[in-house]
Amino acid sequence: MSKRLHLYIGLVLVLIVAGAVLVSYLWLPFAPDDTSGGRLAPPGGDHLLGTDKLGRDLLTQLLIGGRIALGTALGAVAVGGVLGLSAGLLAGFATRWLDDAAAVVLDILIAFPTLLLAMLIVAGSGASLGTAILAIGLAMAAIVARLVRVLVKQVLGRDFITAARVAGVSWPRIVLSHVLPNIAPVLLVNLALQAGLAVLAEASLSYLGLGTPPPNASWGRMLFEAQATVLTSPVAAIAPGLALVTLVIGMNLTADGLRLGVSDADR
Amino acid sequence: MLRTLAAVTALGLAGALAACGGGDDDATVKDSAAAVIQVGSVYEPQNLDNTAGGGQGVTEALNGNVYEGLFKLTDTGTVEPLLAKEQKVSDDGLTYTFTLRDGVKFHSGKALTSADVKASIERVTAENSKSARKSNLAVIKTITTPDDATVVVQLSARSISFVYNLSYIWIVNAAAKDLTTTADGTGPYKLGEWKRGSTLSLTKFDGYWGTPAKNAGVVFHYFTDATALNNALLTNAVDVVTSEQSPDALAQFTSNTAYKVNNGKGTTKLLLAFNDKVAPFDKPAVRQAISAAIDDKKLLTSIWGDYGTPIGSMVPPTDPWYEDLTSVNAYDPAVAKQKLAEAGLPNGFSFTLDTPSYDPHPTAATFIKSELAKVGVTVNINTITADEWYTKVYQKRDFQATMQEHVNDRDVVWYGDPDFYWGYSNPQVTAWIKQAEEARTTDEQTALLKQANKQIAQDAASDWLYLYPQIVVASSKLSGYPLNGLNAQFFAYDIVKN
Repeated sequence: MSKRLHLYIGLVLVLIVAGAVLVSYLWLPFAPDDTSGGRLAPPGGDHLLGTDKLGRDLLTQLLIGGRIALGTALGAVAVGGVLGLSAGLLAGFATRWLDDAAAVVLDILIAFPTLLLAMLIVAGSGASLGTAILAIGLAMAAIVARLVRVLVKQVLGRDFITAARVAGVSWPRIVLSHVLPNIAPVLLVNLALQAGLAVLAEASLSYLGLGTPPPNASWGRMLFEAQATVLTSPVAAIAPGLALVTLVIGMNLTADGLRLGVSDADR
Repeated sequence: MLRTLAAVTALGLAGALAACGGGDDDATVKDSAAAVIQVGSVYEPQNLDNTAGGGQGVTEALNGNVYEGLFKLTDTGTVEPLLAKEQKVSDDGLTYTFTLRDGVKFHSGKALTSADVKASIERVTAENSKSARKSNLAVIKTITTPDDATVVVQLSARSISFVYNLSYIWIVNAAAKDLTTTADGTGPYKLGEWKRGSTLSLTKFDGYWGTPAKNAGVVFHYFTDATALNNALLTNAVDVVTSEQSPDALAQFTSNTAYKVNNGKGTTKLLLAFNDKVAPFDKPAVRQAISAAIDDKKLLTSIWGDYGTPIGSMVPPTDPWYEDLTSVNAYDPAVAKQKLAEAGLPNGFSFTLDTPSYDPHPTAATFIKSELAKVGVTVNINTITADEWYTKVYQKRDFQATMQEHVNDRDVVWYGDPDFYWGYSNPQVTAWIKQAEEARTTDEQTALLKQANKQIAQDAASDWLYLYPQIVVASSKLSGYPLNGLNAQFFAYDIVKN
């Protein structure tokens, strides 16, 4: 598949979800807490995807779950991006033992599974969407920081940095006009990839009851609840599963397309 | 986590044995006697000690199987002597003299003596005991052991439930150490191996004093996921599921003659428990309003489909003092609004609902939030783990309202204790419950507890949302398994596999 196709398919999938989420802010088929639909009503009629155990419209729940998924992705990428970039830049400029120490600390943090780290943070401070975003963002920050550190070191070794130093350009200016623009493409690819992982991490936390608290319909929670009724009401499991797959594949393909673009530019 | 805590000692009225089986010819008896019964459950014990927060799983696996009490509860709720051969009660009802059965041995080989009984009772009443029946046994003044076969218990007041409460107490070897990981009881099975997170096996004890088990042993298989548990039954990895958790999985068994679905009697209640000591729930009108605003029947149908029973009080139909009180504070949003206005909250209020993170609590909390929104009350759902529930709600009383499953039978008496976690305090009710406990006849006790329960229901001390169904699904080849209240206990010794 060509890099463009990757990118386009990825963007289309992400835009489908993003579009649906935008629509949900203007219009929802039913009120989120409307339980008038009857227990596990089959798809069709008023309820396009049917209802859940409590009689709530599944499409409505799915759209609200989309808000949470996208919100988590954006929030976690923002937290992870800002913290990771800051830490990575500092580590990139560090020398000698400080550099070694930074490398070891980041390696240790990365060795810690993202989900486990997130679970520890959530367990310590109570389950909420904010905590989940923060936890996933923090876990992501270590990965971003390590990448940024390596990228910064590469850029700092190039001749134009030496030239800029000789010309008397200050370090903050070098960072802004030389380092950041040079590491941005690779960083962007990584953040797109991390966004997909953040969506999965939030769904996993919610599936385990550690993410978004009820009544908010996270896709992970919807999957958990549908598990017991999968034989009688398969749509309740298939719909959030499909939505999750669409968004994560979309984000991964977008990252892939961007990565291929970046490596082309390098050549 | 009353489920965990209460279940530590939960025997459950309904948890008795439905004796089936019998009538086999010699050959089948021989075959089935060699069979090991594979039991599937979602309740793995936390540890093996019912005074150390072992959870309902430890009662399910060990009660009656590995450990026995001086008495046991039967299917009909009557108490039968087990390790006690006979009992004498003094005229004032304050001195109980128990004579122990002869020839009873612990699995370690040591003979049962009165010292073991004394030590076993003291384990339950000890300061660090987490037994839910601890407070009921506070009435014990002294325990003496005049000889090896006699135990004399002095009470500080009459206690009509004393013998019933004794059926919650496992008689353990006084010399046994660390009962959280090992076991030494007198039951028909001895503990085999406990592989944490996987299985717990029991093997037939050849030195058992009574009728030996009809099978060679039992293996409890633990699942964290109900779907996986049902699949295990479908693939014959287990023979019986002790307690089905969802009505939606049952269709695959009801339509298949290879399985039998049994709908027994349960004693597990789902409670919306208010903190009756803190505002605004210190006002009965507010609690009545909340109770009237929630359509309990709709909630029951949402979660259990056609199963389960609406319940209007803490008392399940199997308790002798049961009365249908579903009409008290029944669903009526208009009444709810009126009560709120009476309580000075015409515009509603908001409160935090501490909700255990495991099923069915989040779903039920979502429903409650949606129902209460209709009368202007805002619910903030705060999900917590079972451990948090124990420390935050049960120990520190740091909550406004919470949800909890209460598995025990005859547990309405806890509303007579103003220091219990829900903080319900009505001096009249406390007095009635105390009088009921000191009653001379069961009729008198029943009448007083009915009266107390009615008052508790009218005060809406809690909102009793529904009574769980008790559904056991087993292979058609199996017989002799218990049907009722199995969340609390699962006597395995009469199970026969043909």
